[in-house]
Amino acid sequence: MGFSGNLDELKKTIIAGVIGFAVGALIMMVYGYDPISAYRALFNGAFGDLYGFSESLANATPLILTALTFAIGFRGGMFNIGAEGQLYLGACAGVTVSLFHLPFATGFALGLILAALAGAIWSLPVAILKATRGVHEVISTIMLNWISLFLAFYLVAEILVDPLRAEKTISIAEGARFPVMVPGTSLSYAIFISLGAAIIVYILLWRTVIGFDIRAMGYNPLATTYAGIERWKVILFVFITGGLTAGLAGAVHVMGRPPTYAIYSGMPSIRGLGFEGLAVAMIGRNHPIGIIISAIFFGGLMAGGRMMQLFAQVPLEMVRVVEGAVVLFLAIPELIRLFSFLRTMGTLHIFRSKRS
Amino acid sequence: MRGCSISKEESSLVEGKSDTILEGKGICKGFPGVWEHLILDHIDIDVRAGEIHTLLGENGAGKTVIANCLSGFYMLSEGQIYVKGKPVTLKSPRDGIRHGIGMVHQELALVKPFTVAENIALGLPTSDLTFPLPEVEDRVRELSEKYKLYIDPLARVEDLSAGEQQRAEIIKVLYHDPEILILDEPTSLISADAEHLFEALNSMAEMGYGILFITHKIKEALEIGNRVTVLRLGKSMGTRETAKTDKTELVKLMFGEHTPAHLERKPVGSKRVVLEVRNLEALAADEEPALQGVSFSIREGEILGFAGVSGNGQSELAEVITGLRRATKGEVIIHGKDYTNHNPRDIIRAGVSHVPEKRREVGVIEPMTVAENVVLKDIRVSPFSKGSFVNISRVTAHAKEIVSRFGALVSDLWKSQTRILSGGNIQRLILGRETWRMPKCIVAVYPTQGLDAKAIDHTWELFMRLREAGSSILIVSEDLDEIMALSDRIAVMSNGRIVGMFEGSKANREEIGLMIATGASGSEHSQ
Repeated sequence: MGFSGNLDELKKTIIAGVIGFAVGALIMMVYGYDPISAYRALFNGAFGDLYGFSESLANATPLILTALTFAIGFRGGMFNIGAEGQLYLGACAGVTVSLFHLPFATGFALGLILAALAGAIWSLPVAILKATRGVHEVISTIMLNWISLFLAFYLVAEILVDPLRAEKTISIAEGARFPVMVPGTSLSYAIFISLGAAIIVYILLWRTVIGFDIRAMGYNPLATTYAGIERWKVILFVFITGGLTAGLAGAVHVMGRPPTYAIYSGMPSIRGLGFEGLAVAMIGRNHPIGIIISAIFFGGLMAGGRMMQLFAQVPLEMVRVVEGAVVLFLAIPELIRLFSFLRTMGTLHIFRSKRS
Repeated sequence: MRGCSISKEESSLVEGKSDTILEGKGICKGFPGVWEHLILDHIDIDVRAGEIHTLLGENGAGKTVIANCLSGFYMLSEGQIYVKGKPVTLKSPRDGIRHGIGMVHQELALVKPFTVAENIALGLPTSDLTFPLPEVEDRVRELSEKYKLYIDPLARVEDLSAGEQQRAEIIKVLYHDPEILILDEPTSLISADAEHLFEALNSMAEMGYGILFITHKIKEALEIGNRVTVLRLGKSMGTRETAKTDKTELVKLMFGEHTPAHLERKPVGSKRVVLEVRNLEALAADEEPALQGVSFSIREGEILGFAGVSGNGQSELAEVITGLRRATKGEVIIHGKDYTNHNPRDIIRAGVSHVPEKRREVGVIEPMTVAENVVLKDIRVSPFSKGSFVNISRVTAHAKEIVSRFGALVSDLWKSQTRILSGGNIQRLILGRETWRMPKCIVAVYPTQGLDAKAIDHTWELFMRLREAGSSILIVSEDLDEIMALSDRIAVMSNGRIVGMFEGSKANREEIGLMIATGASGSEHSQ
């Protein structure tokens, strides 16, 4: 229902990617590294063998979910960057369940549900403030992200802490873990939660009435009001759904991430997944299917980047620079749309404040 | 010298009052690309000295084409023009002027910062470095007095009213001593001032000019002129003595058996009020008062037309009624229930349709597909969605039906964006979406703006059908013809107030035009 020109988008994306890699190669050449061996290492590390591909998919698992958070918002004309904070709490909620000794299935299900709910609850103030007081979501989500960060630090250090190893939380109970899919890798069956969520979001956006309302509001808020679509309902739905997927992202990253199934203090493996989801969504053109592809690509960059360092002797900093160049170019088509989008949002904001 | 020549000709013209001075026989005109039917199909027409001959026809009947053929702007495809019995070939407007044929075009061609005299001097073949301005001024004064045109040659064109500009244009043509004056829809630009023009034309006819007066308004054809020729789709439907014909006959000649619905309306039967507005006030986007003490009601099966220059509160009124703008005071009552400041959704549910002013910005969501825009308001209800899932096959079938029933040209329903449609097709889509349910109440703002003549016809018919079916319709339009044709009652808005309310049948075009122009009325005091 209404998603023409996807092939065109794909073409644009591929061209942008090629340019990005070319620029990356140029940078490496300038600093005296061999781009061909570097890219070979990158590709082999990411997709060259089962191990590499599994690692790429494992990295993609939470990214798909946080990207969906942003994409739902973007489709509805909202700039939801709250996934980061919601993700922390989702992860903590997933671990919390393991404080209690619950039977196998209950613990597993409860972990996922609580994590999703934690994310949703953390998104509620954003939705309510926006719907009732017109508070811009960028402001409120940034604030809530910080609150969530320190709340999570506290939870990790004080409540969920492993009594035997103070640098991490307790591990998820055996029964509440996602089974490993490819032995010896980080890839667990949690990837199906992400893929399922993407398909559900796809159906939601293009096959349901609320999805229609979300897209309509994203394109033209004025016409949406004219058509009798209630703004506050769309806002509430967008943020709650986004919160659910962001919360789940936290859960799959602890419940489905071998080998430790725990959060380390400072949350090094979790921090940033929310904002990276934003980039994933942009490169995936905010389309669930595009997001799956783009998240795997991102996961591949993470996995392959290590190999670049290892086998092509490219320092980590240079790996990041090259990755940055590629991502930037890939995001350009959507960034252009984003700028025009922010501009209309700005004018609408003026319009609103004048009226109320 | 010119003055002498005209008085000589005049005397000769007055003597032979029924002499035919201009005659077209078997005039045919086609244009490359539209040859499949002739724009003019063997038209015979003649203009006598001392008469006003009215050429009546719908938009697109070919009236302007005849005028252009007779005055030398167009070459004929077939047929012959005779001036005073002698066959002539007109190759350019200059030839026309040489044979004494002057044409006043529908669009005025005056240079605004120049005076009337300067404008006329511009078109003279003798104009060079020695501008004959004083002579021109004298002549203009003379002509103006003689034919009661009341034009000051030293007045700057931009300071003149539309009617005065029209008459200045006439003087410009009279300056060349024509014997025949062709006026193409001279009343389309002037509403309140038509009386002056008619007076001038009558006095010119009395002095022996032959005048061909083109109009699409039956009322004018009956009001002015000695004979009337009716044109329909490039064919002449016959010529009648104005005194011996009537509205019914002219309507039949103009439209054939297919009479436009708005010309044979039945009176409003019901007394039930559907929409009532009491003492409404609202602010515009700039916080200035946009509506002040607006009150009216519309009954079942009644059309209330809002006339007035746009920007006098009509848009805000439509927005307040449909819930898009807050009322600061007053009430909006639909079917006896208070809907003041309810959200648009409630008002849609109460049965109010809205054809918005900004069709691209508000009426549709441009990046969405045609099918999605057709169900923009209906997608929430069965059968277009079940539970919360969209029933795509039902939506498709419905969109297909609306698109074909309302004649919107679309390339496909589900693929391309609505953005690529023309304004007219978007309007057809909106009209289809807003009226297919035969709503109880419709608020339509500039519903035919930018549509072609045929589409306007269809839209008017649509509104009349809805009226018959019992809809209460509020129409805002700047086109006084549209308001006059459709409305059972006419409200005139000025500066956010209703300054006049007229019964449609008794409405006087001139009075309304004047009221629109000045914004003044007697009813203001009574409020």
